[in-house]
Amino acid sequence: MRRRDIIRRAGRSLRQAKIRTLLTALAISVGAFTITLALAAGTGGKEYTDNLIKNNGDARSLSVFAKTQQKETEGPKKYGEIDDTVSQGYLGDSDIAKIKSVPGVESATPTYSVSAAYMVGPNNEKYETELSIKIDQTGVDLAAGSLENNQPKPGTVLVSDSYIEVLGYTSAQEAIGKPITLHINKLSVPGMPAEGKNMTFTIAAVDKKSDTSLNYQDGVRVSAADGKTIYDYQTPAAAANQYFGVTVRTADDADPQMVQAAIKDKGYEVFSLQDIQQVLFTFVNVVMGGAAGFGALAILASIFGIINTQYISVLERTQQIGLMKALGARRKDIGKLFRYEAAWVGFLGGLIGTLLALLVGLLNPWIAKQLNLEEGTNLLIFNPLYSVILILALMLVAVVAGWLPSRKAAKLDPIEALRTE
Amino acid sequence: MIQVRHITKTYGKKQNKFVALDDVSFSIPTGASVAILGKSGSGKSTLMHAMSGLDRPEQGEVVIDDENILKLKQKAVDRFRATKISFVFQSFFVQANETCFDNVSLPLEIANVPARERKRRVVAALEAVDLGDKVRSKAKNLSGGQKQRLAIARAIVNEPQILFADEPTGNLDSATGDIVEKLLFDYNKKNGTTLIVVTHDHDLAAKCDIKITIKDGKIESISERQAKSKKPAHRRRVQL
Repeated sequence: MRRRDIIRRAGRSLRQAKIRTLLTALAISVGAFTITLALAAGTGGKEYTDNLIKNNGDARSLSVFAKTQQKETEGPKKYGEIDDTVSQGYLGDSDIAKIKSVPGVESATPTYSVSAAYMVGPNNEKYETELSIKIDQTGVDLAAGSLENNQPKPGTVLVSDSYIEVLGYTSAQEAIGKPITLHINKLSVPGMPAEGKNMTFTIAAVDKKSDTSLNYQDGVRVSAADGKTIYDYQTPAAAANQYFGVTVRTADDADPQMVQAAIKDKGYEVFSLQDIQQVLFTFVNVVMGGAAGFGALAILASIFGIINTQYISVLERTQQIGLMKALGARRKDIGKLFRYEAAWVGFLGGLIGTLLALLVGLLNPWIAKQLNLEEGTNLLIFNPLYSVILILALMLVAVVAGWLPSRKAAKLDPIEALRTE
Repeated sequence: MIQVRHITKTYGKKQNKFVALDDVSFSIPTGASVAILGKSGSGKSTLMHAMSGLDRPEQGEVVIDDENILKLKQKAVDRFRATKISFVFQSFFVQANETCFDNVSLPLEIANVPARERKRRVVAALEAVDLGDKVRSKAKNLSGGQKQRLAIARAIVNEPQILFADEPTGNLDSATGDIVEKLLFDYNKKNGTTLIVVTHDHDLAAKCDIKITIKDGKIESISERQAKSKKPAHRRRVQL
């Protein structure tokens, strides 16, 4: 028999048992639905994390810290013994020179820690403020104004929009180009009167918290150069040139991961955005894998449904099989007839599951709203290729499940099958 | 020419052994109509199964066109059944949920006849049994006589050399039975197809050229109808 004729006949006999076919297909579709959704959520989750990373960091930026070496000790330490494990290390200028010598490093800027006692706007009211230095080129969500390379120029600052009102400005737009004064105190021994001075900056831009931002903190951000000036003024000479960390910017043509490894080799602790990304991706993958696992279980369960249905189908059509064999149909034709039937069921189940999952995909805006995600965020992204592969795989699974019944059909003795009574 | 030589078929083993066919031999000339007459359990169906290659007796040969079909490989036997013989059964075995067209098309699909050729031959076969207006009807909507006519259309669509009819009128009233008989004998005469009717109905058997009576797995008698001026069929007495 020709393949096309067998497939047509297989489809026809399924249509003759509509309810049974539909129910078997529905059992498979549960698995297909779950897997499709899991894959869609995985794709969407990865895309969302990608966005998240882009908004929260700059892939070319590496954070370098001193390695904290700790001796492997067991049990409590004996009193009076000198602790020879290296405590929290600081990096010095020699470390910076060393890091700078690593190929692919464009710049290495110490992470200065700075603080301001208060800030003052045109209304002359003093407010506490967080002060930080913007050395990375991570993107910021601007409410007003503009930045070059996502960094303020020396003499200007980036201010959070929640500060605008207390400074005495009516809107973010109005504050652009206007002054802000920061009072910087010298760090001194507690109890001593603090010595300090005012520094006035121009507001270059106003930023706001973005929905994809992970660790947004309200505050005032100054340029790297101004940061250094403040640090030099503020930090006592004894503690100078000791940095908690160094921010490395990799060269355009260098692979950040290679540079990360090279700096690590020099004996430093290096963290990059990729690390975070990897952690997030692993998380997304685990969630996706878990859901897909449930789908696979559902499919496994539905296999028994297929086997059962096909056995019943063989029993019901004993006479038809006998007739076909009497008319000269080959054993393999009969086997194929039932396997194609199973494949049709698998196809149907895959299709129904995929379509149902696509329907759930229509809820994307609602999901984004429920999770307070930015408008337009799609947490479920369907890849047509995955669906095609899934449906093909289900057809294969169905054929394998239909193997035993189809063998039974092929082996049927036509004389027995055609015995009347 | 169909030659059946010394066929023996047994079922079961040892004390349960049952001899269904016991050293049966005869021959049938091409184009004849033959009745295999016998009571139920006489072995007539087993004989038909052996002659059509559905069953394989332990001993003997069935020579059709100088070929012993019992020695053929399964593939060749299937091919033989698909191209050279066909069946009409007592209980029709038409596929109730399929259209008349699809029912009749089945043997052609099995024989790998191309779709266009199939369409022509199916319609012709349905017209030959006077079901030309039922091409698209479902088989379940047909009456008993129509179903058997549909089965005949299915049996003649591949233009067989040998047509086996197993109690073709057994499930029909006499009026529709007559129509079915007429169709079978007309086809036999017109196309020179050998018609082998397996039956216990003496009236039906009397209408055939050759009557082979079988009893307890042995041939009881072979008689030839004398009436018409037809060329006498070759006959061979069997040692009983």
